Amino acid sequence: MRATLERSNLLKALNHVHRVVERRNTIPILSNVLLRAEDGRLRLKATDLDLEVTETVPAEVRAAGGTTVPAYTLYDIVRKLPDGAEVALDTDAEGRTLTVQSGRSHFSLQILPEADFPDLTAGEFAVRFTLAAAQFRALMERTQFAISTEETRYYLNGIYLHIVASGDDKLLRAVATDGHRLAQAQIAAPAGSEAMPGVIVPRKTVGELQKLLESPDAEVTVEVSDTKIRVTEGDIVLTSKLIDGTFPDYVRVIPRGNDKVLKVDRGAFSEAVDRVSTIASERGRAVKLALGEGRMVLTVNNPDSGSATEELGVDFAAEPIEIGFNSKYLLDIGAQLRSGTAVFKLADPGSPTLIQDDDNPDALYVLMPMRV
Amino acid sequence: MSIRRLSPETINRIAAGEVVERPASVVKELVENAIDAGATRIEVATAGGGLALIRVTDDGAGMGADDLALAVERHCTSKLDGGLEAIGTLGFRGEALASIGSVARLALASRQRGSADGFEIAVDGGAVGDPRPVAMAPGTRVEVTDLFFATPARLKFMKSERAETAAITETVRRLAMAHPEIRFSLSGADRTATDLPATGPNGWLDRLDRILGNGFRADAMAIDSGRGPIRLTGFAGLPTHHRGNAAQQYLFVNGRPVRDKLLAGAVRAAYGDFIPHDRHPVLALFLDVPPAEVDVNVHPAKAEVRFRDPGLVRALMIGALREALAAAGHRASDRGATAMIEALRRSAFAPPQAPAARGAERGWEGFAEPAQAVLTDLPRSADRRAAAYVPAAAPAAAPVAAQPLGVPRAQLHETYIVAETEDGLVVVDQHAAHERLVYERLKAALAADGGVPRQILLIPEIVELPEEDVDRLASRAAELQPLGLVLEAFGPGAVAVREVPGLLGHGDTAGLVRDLADEIAELDTATLLADRLDAIAGTMACHGSVRAGRRLRPEEMDALLREMEATPHSGQCIHGRPTYIELKLSDIERLFGRR
Repeated sequence: MRATLERSNLLKALNHVHRVVERRNTIPILSNVLLRAEDGRLRLKATDLDLEVTETVPAEVRAAGGTTVPAYTLYDIVRKLPDGAEVALDTDAEGRTLTVQSGRSHFSLQILPEADFPDLTAGEFAVRFTLAAAQFRALMERTQFAISTEETRYYLNGIYLHIVASGDDKLLRAVATDGHRLAQAQIAAPAGSEAMPGVIVPRKTVGELQKLLESPDAEVTVEVSDTKIRVTEGDIVLTSKLIDGTFPDYVRVIPRGNDKVLKVDRGAFSEAVDRVSTIASERGRAVKLALGEGRMVLTVNNPDSGSATEELGVDFAAEPIEIGFNSKYLLDIGAQLRSGTAVFKLADPGSPTLIQDDDNPDALYVLMPMRV
Repeated sequence: MSIRRLSPETINRIAAGEVVERPASVVKELVENAIDAGATRIEVATAGGGLALIRVTDDGAGMGADDLALAVERHCTSKLDGGLEAIGTLGFRGEALASIGSVARLALASRQRGSADGFEIAVDGGAVGDPRPVAMAPGTRVEVTDLFFATPARLKFMKSERAETAAITETVRRLAMAHPEIRFSLSGADRTATDLPATGPNGWLDRLDRILGNGFRADAMAIDSGRGPIRLTGFAGLPTHHRGNAAQQYLFVNGRPVRDKLLAGAVRAAYGDFIPHDRHPVLALFLDVPPAEVDVNVHPAKAEVRFRDPGLVRALMIGALREALAAAGHRASDRGATAMIEALRRSAFAPPQAPAARGAERGWEGFAEPAQAVLTDLPRSADRRAAAYVPAAAPAAAPVAAQPLGVPRAQLHETYIVAETEDGLVVVDQHAAHERLVYERLKAALAADGGVPRQILLIPEIVELPEEDVDRLASRAAELQPLGLVLEAFGPGAVAVREVPGLLGHGDTAGLVRDLADEIAELDTATLLADRLDAIAGTMACHGSVRAGRRLRPEEMDALLREMEATPHSGQCIHGRPTYIELKLSDIERLFGRR
C-alpha cells in the first residue's frame, strides 16, 4: 500500500474512528485501525466488535492495498504533525511495518495483516430511510440521559427506537428508561421507515452517533435489520449491533389521567431546585415540592446540616399536594426541556408524574416520586 | 419377600443410630442423666477416643435393683411425670441406656442414697444380665466399653481417636458451662485431665472463664434481661474480644446446650458494626423458658429446640446484647492497655546491651560531634512540636477533671492524642475515634423519623425466586419498608420490587433481594439491608472524618474527647478496632518498679 494525503483529512477521519477503539484489548488487532487505499481514496475502519465506524477520505493512491496499525498511536502521530502537512503512508515489501512520513518526520509502525481484521458489516438491511441529521440527533439527545447503566436489566441499556401509529400518521419514537424515570421523543416517521421493527440501540452507539453527526444540515441514511443498525452520513458509516432483548411495555407507565396541572418557569424552577439541593447530602437528594394555589414551596431537609426552602410563583389551580423527587432527576429533566415553561401533570405523591414542554408535545418525561 | 416384624435387638440398634451417633453423644446422654439425678460431682473417664471406654461416675440419687433392670429397657424413664408439654429434665425419652446397651457393652452400677447395698447390671450388645450386688459409694457409675462393636458399619465411620476425644471434651465443656454448681472432672489415657471445681451460685463467670479462657473474664459483659416469662442471663464478650469462627458462641435453653440459628442471627444483628465483618464474638447465653413455651422433642439428640414465639426470643436476645454493648462502650480498651503494658515490659528488659554500645561510641565523639549534632536533633523536633501544645492545653484543664477520657495534653505523630485522666493516661487514635463519631451521627440521621427516603420505581423490578424464598420475603415485607425496600409477592415464583432506598441509587436490586432471601433462610434475620445502608454510611464516615496526619489544636482534641464520651460505642472504630487505650497510673508505676 502506498498513499499520500493531507494531514487535516487524515486527522478528521482518525478523530472519528479512533474513539471506537477500546483502550485495553485482549485481542491485539482490535487496538488497530484498518487502512485501505484504492481508487483515489483511503478508507479507515475501527471496531470493538459491537460497533464499527468507517470513514473514507480522498488520497493520492500510488499502490492499492490495505493494512492495520495501532489506532491511538497513529492518531497521536497525525495530531502532532504540523498543520497543512502532507502525510505519506507506505507499507514495506515484507509487510511488517507501515512507514508514516511527513516533512522530515519519519515513523515506522508495526502492522497486523488486513485479513485478520474483523468485519461486522455482513448482512442484509431490510429497512432503509433518510432523515435530517438534526432530527435524528434530537431524538437521541432528548432521551439519552435516561438510559440505564445497570447491567442486570441489559435491555434498558439503550434507546428503544420504533414506529408508532398516531391516528393516520406514523411516528418514529425514541424511548429510554432506567426504571426510575422515562424519556420519550418522537418525530414524523420518515418515508421508508414505516416497516421498521422496534430496536434497542446500545448506549455507546448513541454516544458515538452524537459525536459523528456534526453538521445539522446533512442528510442521514439509517438502515435497520433485526440485529444491526447502520447510519451513513456522507463519508462516514457507523454500523452497530443492537441489544437483543425485549423493551418493557413502557406505554403502561406513562400516566394519562393526571389532572393536577402545574406550569412553572423552567429556568427559575431548575435554579431553585439546584439552590435548595445544595444542602442535601449525597445520600438524600430528595426535594419536596409543596404545591398550593399559585405557589410552590421547595424544601430540602438534611438532618446533618439543616434545611432549605424556596418559594416560586407558579400556575397551579388544583388541590394542594406535597410530592418528593430526587433533585438530580429534576435537574436532568429541566436540562432536557426546551421551552420557557415546563408543564407538570401530577396525580398523587405515589404515582408517576408527567413533565413536558408547554409548546412541544413530542417530547415527554415521566418521573417517579420519592417518598420522603 | 414377606413382611416380618423386626427383632427387638434390631429395633434398638436402629434407634441407637439416631441417639448414639458417636462417642460424644454417649457422654452427653450419660452426663445429662447424672445431672438429672442431682449429682454434685461428675467424673468422666475415657480411653481410645471413647470407643474403648467411657466411664461416667456421679454422686446422684442412684437406683435400686428393680429400677436398674428397668432402666436399660427402652422407653423406660423416671423423668417424664408431667407429660411432653412440661419437660423439666434434660432427658425424657427413656432411650439412651437401651440404645447404648444395644451397640456396646454396658455396665451399670448404682447405690441409692440411704440404701446399704449397691447393685450392678450388665448389658452386652442388647443382652441384659441379672442385677448383682456390688460394693460402692452412693451414686451411679456407668461404664461403656467397646462402643459400636455390635454395629461394625458405624464403627467404620468414626473419625480419628483424636477428633472423637476432642468432641467429648467439647460436650463436657458445654454441659459444664450450664451447671457451675457441679464439679466436673474429665480424665483418661487419651487426654490431659481437666478439673472444673464446683463454684458458688455467683460462680458462673468463674466457670466460663475457665472453659473459654483467653481472658474472657476481663472482657465479659453480664447479660440479664427478661421479657414476660422468659429470662436471658449469661455473659457476652466485648466486641474487641473476637474469634475467627462462631464456635465459641453457646446457647443454653433451660440448661440444655442447643445449636440454634436464632443465636447466630441475633448475635449478628446485635454486634453488627462493632465487630469486623469476618470475626465472631465469644458468648454464652442462658435462656430460661417455661417448659410449655419450648418444644425440645424435635431432635433425637435434643440439639435443636423450637420456641412457641421465636420472634420474642430473638428480640430479647438482640435487645439484651445491644443494651450490654451500649453500656460497655468505654470498656473495649482494656485489652489494648494490657497488650501495651506487656510490650513495654518486654522492652524494659531488653536494653542492657545498649549503654555499653553507647560507651564504645563515645570514644569517637570528638570526630563525630559537629556533623552528628545536627542529625540527632532532627527527629527530636517532632517531640518538641508535640510538647509545644502542652502549655496551650494546660490552662483550660488545670484541674484534671473527672472526665473519663481526661484532658488532652499532646498530639503525637499527628495521629494520636495523649490525654491525662485522674488515675492514668489515655491514648486516642484520632482517625478511628472520629470515624466512629461521624458514623454514629450518620446512622442516627438515617434512623431519624420517616425512615429512609424511598425512590418509587417506574417499572417494578420483578425478581424470580424459589417459592419458599418469596414467602419468606413477603412475610418480612413490613420489616423492610422502613429501610426503604418495598416489595410484594408477584405470583408464586417472583417478587415485585416497587420502591428502593434512594441511597442505593441504581444498585443491583435483584442481587440485593436474592441475598436478603438467602439471609432470611439462613439466619432468620433481614439485617443485610440495614448492613448495606450502614456500609454506605461507614464509607461516608471514613471519608468525612479527620485523617491521621492532621494536626489538631488543643480545643479540637478536647472537643473530640468530650464527644467520644457522649457518643455510644465510641470505644471501637467501625471496623471493630479500639479507638483508644487507657493506661492506669498503677500500671505505669508497676512498669517503673515502684510497686
